[in-house]
Amino acid sequence: MNTLDTLVDILTRDYGVAREQIELQATLETLGLDSLSVLELMFKIEDRYQVKITGDTPSDLQTVGDVVRYIDSLVATNSATRDLKPMEASTNS
Amino acid sequence: MTARRVAVTGLGVVSPLGNSVGELWDNLVAGRSAVRRLPPALSQGLRSPIGAPVDFDGKNYFEPPRLRLLDRVSQLALIAAQQAILDSRLRGAPAEREHCGVFVGTGMGGAETTEEGYHTLYAQQSDRIKPYSVLNAMANAPAAWIGIDHGLHGPMLTYSTACSSSAVAVGEAARRIQHGDVDLMLAGGVEAPLVVGVLRAWDAMRTLAAENALDPSTSCRPFAATRTGLVLGEGAAFVVLEEWEHAVARSAHIHAELAGYGLASDLAHITRPTIEGQAKAMQSALSAANLGPQAIDYINAHGTATAQNDAVETAAIKAVFGERAYAIPVSSTKSMHGHLLGAAGALELVITVMSLKRGIAPPTMHLDVPDPACDLDYVSSRARAARLGVAMSNSFAFGGTNAVLILKAGPAAIPL
Repeated sequence: MNTLDTLVDILTRDYGVAREQIELQATLETLGLDSLSVLELMFKIEDRYQVKITGDTPSDLQTVGDVVRYIDSLVATNSATRDLKPMEASTNS
Repeated sequence: MTARRVAVTGLGVVSPLGNSVGELWDNLVAGRSAVRRLPPALSQGLRSPIGAPVDFDGKNYFEPPRLRLLDRVSQLALIAAQQAILDSRLRGAPAEREHCGVFVGTGMGGAETTEEGYHTLYAQQSDRIKPYSVLNAMANAPAAWIGIDHGLHGPMLTYSTACSSSAVAVGEAARRIQHGDVDLMLAGGVEAPLVVGVLRAWDAMRTLAAENALDPSTSCRPFAATRTGLVLGEGAAFVVLEEWEHAVARSAHIHAELAGYGLASDLAHITRPTIEGQAKAMQSALSAANLGPQAIDYINAHGTATAQNDAVETAAIKAVFGERAYAIPVSSTKSMHGHLLGAAGALELVITVMSLKRGIAPPTMHLDVPDPACDLDYVSSRARAARLGVAMSNSFAFGGTNAVLILKAGPAAIPL
C-alpha cells in the first residue's frame, strides 16, 4: 500500500471523510479535520509506520499532498536514523 | 401580572433500567433491580464488586469519527436529550429551538477520558495524551454537544453540585422560564462514573453497599435496617420545560407542571446531611409552589441507602410534614437503578412525572428489615396505585446543596 492509499484508509475509516473528496490538493480543513484532529492523525501515522515523531508537527501541513510528503520524509529520516544510531551514540558518548 | 407556569412537555432517559421512559417505568413498577456484579475489569480491588450499568454501546449510536470526540458521559446525554426533544415534538420547529436553552447537571464529567489520560501517562509511561482529552473530559461537554446538535442558541449552563446537580439544573431552568427569559429549556443530568478510578475512589470513602452474594440485585436497601450504602449507577435523563401558554398554543402534550423548586444548604460538614438543611429545601419548594404540606401526595426520596442519609431524610420529612408524614407514600427508586449521582435528580424527576401520569407510586425494594429510625410509609416491595395530584422529588448532596422539585399532575394524568 503506498502512502496515499494508507492515508486514504485512515481518513475514511477514522475521520469519516468520503473517498471521492480525497485528492492531493484537498486541504485537511475542507475534509473536516481541525487542528486537534491533525495532531491526532500524527499518532495514527506513528502507529501505522512505526516511526516516532519528535518535536512539533510542522504547521504547514495544509493539504493531503503535504501530509503524504511529510510521511515519506518521516519514514526516510527514521530509517536513516536507525541506520546511523550506533554511530551517533558513539559520537555523543 | 400572573406568574408564568412551567410545563414538562418532553421526557428522555438512558438508564440502568432501560433506554426509554417506557422500559424504565415498566421495570420500576415490576420492582426489577438493575444492580449487578460488574465485570472483573471494573471491579478489581473493590470491596463490593457491584454497580448499576447502562446497557449502552456508543458504537451503536455514533460513527467512529464522532465517537472519538465524545466521552461516554456525552454519548449518554446526547441520546437522552434527543429522546426528550422527540417526545416534545419540537422537531421541525427550528425557530423555536433557536431560543431554547440547555442546562445540564453532572458530578464527575468525562471520567472515562480522564482515566484514559492517566492510564496513558502513568501506566503506559507514554506522552501520547489524546489531543481531544480536555474537550472530552470537561464537565460542560455534554451541554455543549447537545446545544450544537440541536441548534439551541439560548442560555447553556452546567451545574455541578454532586448528587443534586441535575435537580439544580432542572430547577434553575424552570426559573429562567418563570422569569420570562425564555419559553423553552432542555434540562437534565448525566453521569458515567463506572470506571476503575472513580469506583475505587468511592470505595475508599466506605459509602458503597456491600454485595449480597446470594443475589447482588438486592444489595441496595434504602430505609432498611440492613442497609449498607449506595450503589453507583450511570445514565442520563432530560426533560423539555416549556412556558405553559406556549405549550398550550402549540397543542403540546403536557406531562406535568413543574410547580416548585427549593434550595437550602447544610454546611455542617462536607459529607454530613442535616435535618435542618433538607427540611428547609422542602419548605422552600413548597413555598415556591404556593402549597402547604397537606398538598403533597407522594415523595420520591433521595434515599441513598447510606446509614446517614435515610435517617436524616426521614427526620426532615417529619419536620416538614408533621403527622401527615406518616400518610405520604415515600419511595426510593435507587433500590433498583442505583445512585446516578449528577443524573439522579433528573432521572427521579422523570420517574416522579410518570408516577403522577400513571397514578402509581413505585416501590422501595429490598426493605425486608425495617429500621426504627426510618418509620414512614416507604411503599415497600410492591408498586402501589394511588391518587397522586402533587409530588415531591428530593435530591441532596455531598457539599450540602439540597434541591427539591415539586410537580403537579398534568391534564392527561389518569384519574382514579
